[in-house]
Amino acid sequence: MTTEKKKAAKWKLVINLILLLIVIIWTLPTIGLFISSLRPRDQVMNTGWWTAAARGTELTFDNYRQVLAGRGYTFVDSQGNTVRASGDNLTRAFLNSLTVTIPSVIIPILIAAAAAFGFAWLIFPGRKIFFTIVVALLVVPLQIALIPILRDYQSIGLTGTYLAIWLAHTGFGLPLATYLLYNYISTIPRDIFESAFLDGARQMTVFTLLVLPLSVPAIASLAIFQFLWVWNDLLVALVFLGGTEDVAVLTQRLATMVGSRGQDWHLLTAGAFVTMMIPMAVFFGLQRYFVRGLMAGSVKG
Amino acid sequence: MKKVVCLLIIVMIAMTSLTAGGQQQAEPARVVTVFGAFVDEEARRFEEAIRPFEEATGIQIRYEGSPEFETLISVRVEGGNPPDIAALPQPGLMKNFAAGGHLVPMWSSLEQAVDSNYAPVWKELGSYNGTPYGVFHRVNAKSFVWYPKKAWEAEGYEIPTTWDELESLMDQMVANGHTPWAVGMESGGATGWVGTDWIEDIMLRTAGPDLYDQWITNEIPFNHPSVKKAFEILGEIWLDPKYVYGGVNTILTTSFGDAPRPMFQDPPRAWMHRQGNFITGFFPDHIQDNLVEEVGVFPLPGIDPEYGIPILGGGDQFVAFTDSPDVREFMDFLATWESGELWARAGGALFPYLNQDLDAYPNEIERSLAEALVNAEVFRFDASDLMPGPVGAGSFWTGMVDWVGGKSLDAVLNDIQRSWP
Repeated sequence: MTTEKKKAAKWKLVINLILLLIVIIWTLPTIGLFISSLRPRDQVMNTGWWTAAARGTELTFDNYRQVLAGRGYTFVDSQGNTVRASGDNLTRAFLNSLTVTIPSVIIPILIAAAAAFGFAWLIFPGRKIFFTIVVALLVVPLQIALIPILRDYQSIGLTGTYLAIWLAHTGFGLPLATYLLYNYISTIPRDIFESAFLDGARQMTVFTLLVLPLSVPAIASLAIFQFLWVWNDLLVALVFLGGTEDVAVLTQRLATMVGSRGQDWHLLTAGAFVTMMIPMAVFFGLQRYFVRGLMAGSVKG
Repeated sequence: MKKVVCLLIIVMIAMTSLTAGGQQQAEPARVVTVFGAFVDEEARRFEEAIRPFEEATGIQIRYEGSPEFETLISVRVEGGNPPDIAALPQPGLMKNFAAGGHLVPMWSSLEQAVDSNYAPVWKELGSYNGTPYGVFHRVNAKSFVWYPKKAWEAEGYEIPTTWDELESLMDQMVANGHTPWAVGMESGGATGWVGTDWIEDIMLRTAGPDLYDQWITNEIPFNHPSVKKAFEILGEIWLDPKYVYGGVNTILTTSFGDAPRPMFQDPPRAWMHRQGNFITGFFPDHIQDNLVEEVGVFPLPGIDPEYGIPILGGGDQFVAFTDSPDVREFMDFLATWESGELWARAGGALFPYLNQDLDAYPNEIERSLAEALVNAEVFRFDASDLMPGPVGAGSFWTGMVDWVGGKSLDAVLNDIQRSWP
């Protein structure tokens, strides 16, 4: 008995050590990035981040200041005076990113939830074929759709508007969203629907009052995926929204921040942490919906 | 949930009406959109440089820069959403668009301005099938050697004016226990371009501009003796560990931006670095702050005296996608020195205009670069940008890496020749 316990404790220790090792390896790049983001430009370029602790080098928030408050630059005005001005701060880019991202997450999820409910529980001809088509769209890379969609947008005058990019992200996100939600919604016990119909509920009532609340865990995880994808997207935004100051999203601002030849790449370290903040907040905010057992006992009574 | 949906619909409607309405109000009648690859501080200086034009004419220039320019411009043009004017870094792009009928050919007033303000080579570079399209504005020049000035003065090194002097200077450095060159060619997916620049510079100096032009169009094969000779001359420097800091491994693994750094250590670990005028942006901060005191520069000496000191370079050419009086007016302006003067004063830019005022450049270094550029008897565009993509942005780059990595020269040259489309 005691030897068995000892054995078990030993195994536990070994497993924990292995896990610890994996955790360290996995977080090491992030730690390195974080330390680098606090180091001045010359040091980032000359020595590795691990030398920071050894040599007790100075740490500075200068990179963060430049990323958040805008980089200073000099120019010569038409009178020939040299002027020093500070660049734009990130507020505008943050707002643009949020304006693009939030509808681009909500719209596809709502459509996908309805579609998934339909594919899973409504009986109509061609249901299997339609669903196969939707799943097949998963393997189509979005890049091949850029030019045709841009042409269509151009002909109806949508290019450069927020609606254009919401619709684009909705389209690109729908196959995966439908597929994931279908898998989840089709596992909801049939009894729940039967008892609802017995009580005289219509399909719409079942969808809004039963399916949506019951699918919250799946919707939450999907929302995180879609949020991260849209938040980190650069290509779709550049094509459909453009990169002018008034609409540029955060990823575009970060991409231009390194300079035309990448000479200021050290700013990306701080930029990475700045852009990470919102997705982290979303992740931790939605995490509590990942609770299992929502459906437990829902058929009783 | 219903509330969310309602809210969402309201937000959507509000947003679309807002953006649509905003566009109608904010856009004055005379707007010219310009799309280019330069961003950040360079974009600001461009905007400031053209401000006098905006104030004088009332035309508003809306510049948009993106590091993803080369992908985006093709998508936007194909998608029917081109900017009014684009600044194309690669002549190949201009040729594609011109062949596709997307570009507005130069009108007579613009052509006259280009004829009188530029050396003929710039007009040729902006032409496709004999029709001129592109106007060059800011350009860069690559045939320069940078050195740590103070350390050179302390050692008594003198600027070489011929290739022989350069070679004897290198040997003098080695005799003093110094390493002459700092070289690094790592550049992500574009690794190799530092090497192709060197080869192009040497080609211009040994084979001359005529063979160089034939080389670009593959009228002479890539394994032609003149190309081979250029590689051999480069090999005498690069493949000899005593001439290059860290030897061939350092060449392959050091990024082009980090490469000049050994020059600014105390004492310098390398004493010369050949690179374009943009490299000053990669120098350490304390060097950039005192550029003129800390750094010296001279053009890479000529080899065959017949060709003088050729200059290799590149630049963005502005091409018009739409034809309107405003676009024409702005393009005409871009062809004049006035469009570049303020940017030249702010620093970090060279201009090709024949009638430019060299005093406008803020320091000796930039002035000497501009002078070398304007006075060069031979100026040629970066060959790898002019060659077809699979070679110029492909096998030529990888061939450089293979060659530095130890593959035989004949095999490398034959491989590149075989990859020619």
